[in-house]
Amino acid sequence: MLKRAFIAIGALGLAFGVWGVYDRLAFGHENADYGSYVVWGLWVAMYLFFAGVAAGGLMLASLDFLFDLPIFKGTGRVALWGALVSLAAGLLSIWLDLGHMERIWKVYLQGNPSSVMFQMVWGYTLFGLVLAASLGLAIWRPASRWLKALMILGIPLALFVSGAVGALLGVQAARPFWHVGLFPVQFPVFSLASGAAMLLAAIGLFGRADDPRRPQQLWILAIITVGLQLIKLYFLWADFSQSIYGNVPLNVEAVNEVMFGQYWWAFWILQLGLGSLVPIAVLVHPRLARHSGWAGWMGLLTLMGFAVARANIVFPALTIPELKALTTAFTDVHLQFNYFPSPMEWAVTAGTLGLATLAFLIGCDRFALFSIPKGEV
Amino acid sequence: MLDVLEHVDVLTRMREDLKRALGKPVDQRRWVMVIDLRKCVGCHACTIACVAENKLPPGVVYRPVLEEEIGSYPNVSRRFLPKPCMQCDQPPCVPVCPVSATYKDENGVVVIDYDQCIGCRYCITACPYASRTFDFGGTYTLATPQVEGIIIGREIADAYERAANFEYLERRARTRRGASPEGNVRKCHFCLHRLAEGMLPACTTTCIGRATFFGDANDPESLVAELIGSPNVMRLKEDLGTEPRVYYLT
Repeated sequence: MLKRAFIAIGALGLAFGVWGVYDRLAFGHENADYGSYVVWGLWVAMYLFFAGVAAGGLMLASLDFLFDLPIFKGTGRVALWGALVSLAAGLLSIWLDLGHMERIWKVYLQGNPSSVMFQMVWGYTLFGLVLAASLGLAIWRPASRWLKALMILGIPLALFVSGAVGALLGVQAARPFWHVGLFPVQFPVFSLASGAAMLLAAIGLFGRADDPRRPQQLWILAIITVGLQLIKLYFLWADFSQSIYGNVPLNVEAVNEVMFGQYWWAFWILQLGLGSLVPIAVLVHPRLARHSGWAGWMGLLTLMGFAVARANIVFPALTIPELKALTTAFTDVHLQFNYFPSPMEWAVTAGTLGLATLAFLIGCDRFALFSIPKGEV
Repeated sequence: MLDVLEHVDVLTRMREDLKRALGKPVDQRRWVMVIDLRKCVGCHACTIACVAENKLPPGVVYRPVLEEEIGSYPNVSRRFLPKPCMQCDQPPCVPVCPVSATYKDENGVVVIDYDQCIGCRYCITACPYASRTFDFGGTYTLATPQVEGIIIGREIADAYERAANFEYLERRARTRRGASPEGNVRKCHFCLHRLAEGMLPACTTTCIGRATFFGDANDPESLVAELIGSPNVMRLKEDLGTEPRVYYLT
């Protein structure tokens, strides 16, 4: 029943997305709300989010395929499939964000290796190949020794790509809010947290009810999720408090924008309240954390909170003018410091989420990813 | 009276300077722009000249004039700050480009290869001066109705906007949807196409207050070399170490 509901929601999202993609392809970026000042919008935020889930998914899969933790036996394939679907959704989001989508090949053949974006594109390509190969082996040749080798290769790659996402923003000295030396360290932690939440949601909502290890798996994933949530909250506190004490105007304004600006509700209600505090409050209770429904929905809420957190990193830094008088210097719909995603942007994102949901659920059924290892029942 | 008659307009002098500079090898020139903020009257003629010269579509601006009100009533004054691309010697926008579409050319001007740019806009986020804008592909005449025989409709009105510009000495008409420079990042390039023909940048010739100066800083006889040697010179955000080639006289 729940699966059908998710399939229906995914299909609706996909239908909405078809319109969005048509608009994007037919009219370019004209109907987007981002512009030349708030230059990256919802799609970039979703890319950061999906890419984080993908890297985290592979890290979680290593608990099964590399470290052979008995409690995680049988979860690796779901984690890898979730990671692959997320990676595809992230790459789709960022591809549609390009001004010239047809030129993406230039990054491979005529690229600039000193650019963090170049390194990230290459990193994600290698990561995607490792992910796909690992999943293929996990499904069709689970006994292959190559699977462990791929995991050994995949973990540093996952750390590299998620760190590169942090570096993509961190190297920008022009944006003090992003210019945080620890971003490349923080982002792999965010990725691991996203991967744990994804697996928690997947096993909680769609895992097999007759799997005897399921409550214990959920409990351990809940502990991991809560632990990483707390670390993430500490990072948030460290970043914001240092920015405010440091009192660099552009930085303080960006922090204030997150907390009290046009996205205050996204920060306090979605990111901190529903996305962090509610899941922590529920998942610290062993009984609730072992309950598939509670655990699954809390995993989903955590993911939602992480997606909003990515948006709260991307937009606010861009809504602060580099030079004060820019706001009135030359006006146009694409020269504004206010940003709220347009219907076309929401539609494309809904389509991406819908496609990812459908692909994940269909893949889980098609490849029987939730099967119980022999001898466990 | 005689002094006035003998006075040489700065434009004339700058043209002479330009002619001398163009006679030198490219690597021995150092193009700089000097803007005298005390002379700027905030007329925005330079902004409009630039839009017309480069056929810039809506939302694309190479040289906005920033206006700031200082003080509170009745002690209020206003100042204007024309802001082209700073053509930094250490440009933060260049190393971030994943496809090397933006680079410093042999003239020391930061340029964009429109056929190489993928439109990721990473360079826009890297620029501390907000000197880059994205071409969303619109036209000013987009909402003009098309009513045959009654008024001049959109098809005729936007012919000017569709006409080719000559940025980077390339003829680019906006006739095909999605073709570059649409979908590209765009920026001021010191009117390289005009310089190649021995003409000063459009903003410089258009400035009614003679507040904008352009020339070769490597020529000690040039007006700009003289101006940037004065004590009241400043550059924007010097602390970032970008080494802008646009100087302001305050």
